[in-house]
Formats: sequence, structure tokens, C-alpha cells
Amino acid sequence: MKQSEQLPRPALLWIIVAQAMLLVPHLPRVPLWVIAVYIIAFVWRVQAYRGRVALPGRWLKVALSGAASGGIVLSFGSLLGMEPMVAFLLTAFALKLTEMRSRKDAYVVIFLGYFVCLTAFLFSQDLLLVVFGLVLVWVLTTALVCVHRPSGRLADRQPLRIAGAMLFQAVPLMLVLFFLFPRIPPLWSVPLKAHAAKTGMSDTLRPGDVSSLSQSDEVAFRVRFDGAIPETSSLYWRGVVMSRLEGDTWGSLRYLEIPARERREPVVTTEGDFIDYRVIMEPTQQNWLYSLRYAEPRNAGVMSLSDYRLFLPAVVENDYLYRVRSWPDARLGLELSDWRRRVETRLPAQDNPRTRELARTLYAESGTTQGFVSSALAHFRNQEFFYTLQPPTLGDRDVMDRFLFETRRGFCEHYAYAFAVMARSLGIPARIVGGYLGGEVNPLNRTVIVHQFDAHAWNEIWIEGEGWVRVDPTAAVAPDRILYGLERAVAGEGSFLADSPLSPLRFRGVDWINGLRLRYDALTYRWQSWITGFDGDAQFDLLRGVFGEVSPSRSMAVLLGVGVGTMSLVSLLLLRSRRAAPRSLLETELERFARRLHDRGLEREPGETPAQLVARAVQRWPGYAPRIHRLYGSLEAAVYGPVVVEDEQRLARELRRKIRALRP
Amino acid sequence: MNTATRLEDRARARWLRWLSRRIPPSNSVTLDQRRIFIFPSRTGFFFALCLLLMLIAAINYQNNISYALTFLLANLFVVAVLHTYANLAGLTITAVGADDAFAGGRSAFRLRLSAGGRRGHYALWLGWPVPEEQRRRRRFLVGLFSSPAMMAVEELDLDVDDQRELRLHLPVGHRGWYNPGRLRIESLYPLGLLRCWTWVDLDLRALVYPEPKAASESGAEAGEGEDGLQTAGIGDDEFAGIRDYREGDSPRRVYWKGVARGLELQSKEYSVVVSDARWLDWEQYPGLGVESRLSALCHRVLDYHRRELEYGLRLPGRELAPAKGDKQRERALRALALYGQDGASQ
Repeated sequence: MKQSEQLPRPALLWIIVAQAMLLVPHLPRVPLWVIAVYIIAFVWRVQAYRGRVALPGRWLKVALSGAASGGIVLSFGSLLGMEPMVAFLLTAFALKLTEMRSRKDAYVVIFLGYFVCLTAFLFSQDLLLVVFGLVLVWVLTTALVCVHRPSGRLADRQPLRIAGAMLFQAVPLMLVLFFLFPRIPPLWSVPLKAHAAKTGMSDTLRPGDVSSLSQSDEVAFRVRFDGAIPETSSLYWRGVVMSRLEGDTWGSLRYLEIPARERREPVVTTEGDFIDYRVIMEPTQQNWLYSLRYAEPRNAGVMSLSDYRLFLPAVVENDYLYRVRSWPDARLGLELSDWRRRVETRLPAQDNPRTRELARTLYAESGTTQGFVSSALAHFRNQEFFYTLQPPTLGDRDVMDRFLFETRRGFCEHYAYAFAVMARSLGIPARIVGGYLGGEVNPLNRTVIVHQFDAHAWNEIWIEGEGWVRVDPTAAVAPDRILYGLERAVAGEGSFLADSPLSPLRFRGVDWINGLRLRYDALTYRWQSWITGFDGDAQFDLLRGVFGEVSPSRSMAVLLGVGVGTMSLVSLLLLRSRRAAPRSLLETELERFARRLHDRGLEREPGETPAQLVARAVQRWPGYAPRIHRLYGSLEAAVYGPVVVEDEQRLARELRRKIRALRP
Repeated sequence: MNTATRLEDRARARWLRWLSRRIPPSNSVTLDQRRIFIFPSRTGFFFALCLLLMLIAAINYQNNISYALTFLLANLFVVAVLHTYANLAGLTITAVGADDAFAGGRSAFRLRLSAGGRRGHYALWLGWPVPEEQRRRRRFLVGLFSSPAMMAVEELDLDVDDQRELRLHLPVGHRGWYNPGRLRIESLYPLGLLRCWTWVDLDLRALVYPEPKAASESGAEAGEGEDGLQTAGIGDDEFAGIRDYREGDSPRRVYWKGVARGLELQSKEYSVVVSDARWLDWEQYPGLGVESRLSALCHRVLDYHRRELEYGLRLPGRELAPAKGDKQRERALRALALYGQDGASQ
């Protein structure tokens, strides 16, 4: 069929709206020139729509597509990877828009739009973004409906309504599929988000790293404890353990640097009480997970490393939910291997002479490891040390000498660094642990929200008979940090979230803003634990909880049940026939009368009036004539005469009795 | 003819038989599930491919919202089945009539579409398939994925409770009754992912007159020469009386009214009045084929009608008394159109 291939104008308009919306979530990750191409294509299309300019010719389009692909390779270095792919899709979308004339083009553009919408979710599954995406899908679907309304007008709301209704009707089965569809592992390795910023703690640490991380008000992870929430000042979330110092940079040991026999998971005799909790982590593009010591992973696939931290073989690219059991009182690493001792006491030769000197002096006061720890902490407490989010830079050489004896202003990593260097110079195994400290309790759902500004670094030293013990030098300098969090600790400085003046976290004093923020956070937690963090384990638990057992047949039955149910409802909605004109009870009775005669063998002829029918009935059964006449008389009076509505029921009952009595 | 083509033809014949059982010819058809076919369109298959890509992206990136979006769109497809079907269901198509036409010309087929009370019907495409012989050969099954070549296509929207009359112009074939075959109604609305269609046989037919064509010089001369003067005798012109029925009398001359009253079979007699009426006679064109004769007669009918002359028509087994005016023209053309065809009395 030669259908008119012209694209209706409303369809074009909706596609242009969708185009504008599609770019929004991708703004931070595409190069500026892509945005420029996008805007030019947008303006061009709008002007063409208004009839001001012509659409580009074929060669111009070829040249533009070539230039765009070249530009992407130049900007990203390759076409592989998620960001180049998104940039490529967006430019393709923009260029396709400028050449769109027919329905077929519109299909390509709209389906491409759905796909670009999906790519936005690969970067973030935030609730607000998903709501935005839903609106976008709605707009695209409306455009699709408009493509098939050749005579549609711009002001017509019907396509919008139909698209909305259809999407709404698609939801129940979507939910079932979502929870039932097996979560299978990736089919093949995909281009990683190489260009996506890694967030959270890094596995290397230089002075100044943590303080810059602490400028961010983003959420790192949320935790829900099975029992009571422990004191937030005891919540040391371990993420990275850094045992190697090179130059002025601490780093964690690479897998290959560890000899095979040291790699195995340590044996720990657990003692004391345990804490169970589940963590939902925001994507970090890193491998490590955060947990309280000593943590046993309860998820398949999570590894426990020889320095007692949790590690995921694949980087965390999406919201990740894991369960942990922690034994805070367990003693770790009672036996220290020679290799471990060597590694944990290694220092670059001859640096920081004054720091080493100070360490020797402090050690000499007691002559024991424990004594050294208290003297060192006392030194930080009693001398003029400042805890600041804006530490001065320390130069290249002997950074700790400069920190301890000159600037004396530092953030947690400076103190941890100094303490570790001092301990190691004395031969005491010591290392830096990076992670977060504390968190904010959301009273609405009893979760602990850990923000990036809760980032913290502290030490672990090894003591004979006790194993690895936590030492937090920051506690000596700024006890407020441990007890009340960063905001209070740097209150005097006014530097808390100085770079994000609009962060809702700065307005925690304003009740309604804070209430709103916590409510949204609670919603996000629910969203993450049910939707975005939903994985194979959660699926197994859910299915077992609902069905009692996990079996394909039950899943199939539910899928079919819901499918058939929704479809029946929708068809009922769509196809139910026009309601018959409401009939009065009496008309029903008249019908019944005719039917009764029919049962007795008297057919009602087409077009026959009730009166004619009655006449024939009398002819047929003369003996019943008076009765039939009486009955018909009251029927007629009831149907055609003035009837008081209240009487209708009674009249109908009476008639029915009379009709029943009619037994020729 | 190779085996494949033969098989295909057999399949098509079966399909047509099945179709006429399922959707019998009728003057007015309301579409329901018995009459509506639905299948994904090419766009639908393309969409399914896109969904597959999206699913692969969701699996490879282990991204739950992508799963959700993919499933949402997949179910949109499923829901669209009902919506696409509902767009045709409840539509009533009524045949109003067809204009007469000359062979080789076009006839207007008039239809009335009415929407039910619940829904409008949008982006409807109506038309007749291009006849077999004019069509590029296509595989039988391809018809599932795309619509056949159509002619006289009309696209229209019908709102709730709306009613629309339309005229579809179709080239008609040879002289006689022209039946355009089954009308195809299809729609892609609302999403274009599915094509929903039906074939209805509306029992519509157009009367096709012979193509008016002046006969060759000599034939015309011969015809013209005998024009005008008529011998008196038994003809068709004026009622002369009633006599007993003789074998061979045309049934049209039988005095039926008498038969109805219980009299013997009698025939009416007519006498021919000598007049200046012209006769268009089959026999005036010796040596011409049947169709050529009819064409020539047709041409003359039109010619005389234009000149407002009185004329009669004489065909083997059929005679029209001389008269003039539109009625006569129609009678004459009809006789020519149906000459030698079954159901000529219609």
C-alpha cells in the first residue's frame, strides 16, 4: 500500500521535544562540541519545521557524519567504551533528525531515542533520573502515536493520553518480568566505563586526597543494621588498606606483590557479638567494598582479602547491595609472618629524619608499643596541631618533617601518615586504612547514610598478643570529628561543603529542608534495595519468600497469570460493547411476557406491536382471554402510563406474579 | 509452470475459499475478531530487534533499570496488540453503491463507514488490491509482513459516533458486471508495530458499458443507410392486441396479467408504427466481432442521446422500442453491457 510517507507535524514536534530531553542526562559526559552539534541540529530542525530553511542535502550529511565520527575518536581516543558510544548515539540522533522526512526515518529516530534513554541508566539509576526517563519514554511513545495520526492536530491531547494509557497498561507485566527474569551474568565483556570518574576512596593516598574527597556531599553508601545501630563514632568503615609507601604516596599491595601463601583468606577465630547489616553502595568504578572489622561477606562472589577487607572481582558499576556479618571484637592476625612484618615496617630509606627522631624520643618515654601510641597521641593533642579541610601543601621531600614541625595543619590523612611513619621507623608494623567514619542516621527508616565527606583515614598497628589494632590519631587532634562528624569539627573554619553552597546538607538546621532530604533519602534506599540493587541473590530470596521454592514452572505460572489478567482487563476496557440503553423494569417484564407466549408456541412476529401479539394470543387461547386482557392492561398501563418511580419495583413484582400465573 | 508456483496458487485458492467461509459477502459488515487479522509489521520486527539489543545491554551491564525499560517497552508491544485490534473492531462498512462506467474507464465505488459508540478509528487505509495480473509476482507469505499493492487507497480517521461516506475510484475491466473483489482495510495505529487488516466482500459491483468506439467507415455507412425508414410489421412499438401464445414467443410478450387471472397463455402483439425513429441494429455491422459491434452501438447510443434523437435498439433476442431521454440511454447501455452475459435480466 502506498501510504503517505509524510511525517505529520505533531510527530515531528514531539520528536524535537524528546531530542532536547535526551541530551539532559548526558550533559556532564559528552564533549562540548557534541552539545554544539546537537544544538545546531535542533535549531536547524526547528527552523525547517517552521519552513525557514531547507534540510541539508545528501553530501552535506555524509560529510557531517564523517566529521562527527572523527571528532569522537579525537575526543575520546577511540570509539569503544561507554562515553564514546553515548556521544556517538547522540550525534547520530541529532544528525538523523536533520534528515528526517518520512515515517521510516521517524521510526529509526524514536527507537534510537529509546536506546539513548537506556544508556543514561547505565551511568546512573537515581530515582529522579528514572522518573525523568519515564517522562522521556512517554514523550517518545507519544511521538510514535502521532506518526500514525496523519490528520492529527498539534493541540490534540489524545496521542499523549493513549501513549500514557498504553505505558500504564504495560507496567504490571513489566514488574513481573523484572522480578522473574533470571539475572544471568554478562554475555561477553563490555567496554568499561573507562572515562567515568572513579569515586570514593582510592587505593593510593597522598596528603590532601581525603580532604578534597570530603568536599563532596554525595552519598557513598547506605547501611541498614539488622539490630540496633551501633554508636556512629565506632563505625569505622574499612575500604582500602595501604601498606606500601613510595615517595609520599601510600598504596595498597597489588595482588602480584603478595606471595601465594599470603594471599589466602586469613583464619580468624571469631569472638564476642556479631553485627549483621546490609550495605547498598553507590557505583564507584572500584573493586573494594566497605565494612566494619572483622567482616565476613554473606554474598556469593565477595572475597575477603588477607588484610581483612572485602573485595569484588568486578568493579562496582551499578548500585550494589551486599550483606555482611561483622565481629568487632575478633582479634586479627595474631600470627605475623616474616614477609608481612617486613612489608608493614618498610620505609623509604633516610627520609623524614626529624620525624624518626621524634618517634624515638616518644618511644623512649615508655619503652613499649602501647606507651609509644599514647605518647604519640598525646603529642598531637598537646602540641599546636590543627584539624583543617584546607591543609597547606607540603612540598616534595620529607613531607612529614614539614608537616610535624612547620605547618602543623592537616586533615586525617596527614595525622595517619605521620603516625604510620613514626611507628614504622621504630619497627612497629603499621599501615593506613582508608574508608569512612560514622554516618548520618536517617530516623525515618533507621538507615545510616555515609557521605563522601565522611571519608577518613586512620592507622592499624600490630601489637604482639593483640594482633592488628586500630589507632586513630585524628581522635587526638579533633575529637569532635569522631564524636559528631565533620561538620562540627570544621565549624570554626566554615569550610564544610564550601564548594557546594546549595547542598541540602548545609541546611540540616532548617527542619523542612532536612525532613524533605531525609524522606527522599529513605525513598532512595527503598528504591535501591528493591529495584536497582536487585540481583540474583535478592531474586532467589524473593522468589523463595513468595513461592516457597524457586522453580521455573511457578515463575511461568505467575507470568502467565499476570499476563492473561492484565490483557483481559485491558481488553475489557477497550472492547466492552456499548452499553445498551437502560431499560425500565417494566419493559423487561413486557419482554418476559412475550417470551412466555413464545414458550407456549406463539411466535412474536417481526414488527408486531404488543397489542397485535395479545390479540393473536386471545385468538389462540380464547379461554384465557379475560386473564390475558387483564394482564396486558396492567402491563400497558405500567409501561406507557404515568408511573410513579417508587412504584416501579412493586408493579414489576406484581406483573411477574401475574405472568407466572398465566399457564395456558 | 513450476511446482512451487502451482503450490502457491493452490494455497492461495484454499486461502480464498477459507476467507469466503469466514467473511461471507455481505452488504454491511461490522468488524469483529472473526474478521480481523493482526501480525507484527516490519517496523514491529525492527522494534523487536531493538528490544533484543537493549536486553543485551541490560544483561552485559547488569543494569536493573535497563532491564525494567526493556520489559516496559516489550510489554508496550504486547499491549499494542489489543489497541491495534481495537482500532478496527467495531467499525461498520456498508456498501452504498457503484457508478456505472465505460470499459477502460473508472467507476466510483461508494462506501459508508461508521464508528461504534465507544471508540474512534484512526489512520484507516482502505483500498482494493491491484489485480493479480498487474502485480509483480510476490510470494504468498510476504503478504503477512507487508500489505499488497493497493489501488484507490484512501486514508481517514473516524471519531466516535462519526459516519463518513467515501468514493473510491477504480479502473474497471471489461464490459459486464465488474466486481472489485474484497476490500482491504488496514491500520497500523497506534504504534505502527503491528498491522491489523481485514478483507471484506461488500457485494459491490459496477455495471460496465462497452467502450464507445465508432465503427470503421464502411460499417458506419451500412448502418446509416438503413436508418430511419421502417417497414410495418410485428415489432415492438405499439400494443396491437392479444392473441394465443405460439411457441417461440418471447416470455416478455406473454400476457402475464391474464395468466395470473387464470386465463390461457396468451401473447401480446405489437405493431410497428412507421416513424422517423432510428434503429440501432446488431445486423448493421456485418463482419464485425461481438465486442466491436457493441462498441459501435454504444458509440451511436451516446451520439443519438447527445443529439436528443429518438432511437431503438435491436440485439439478437432483445429489442428496445425507440424512445429518447436518459431512461432510454440507460436501458440501451445496460442492454449492451449485459449482452450475452449470464444474469442479463438483472
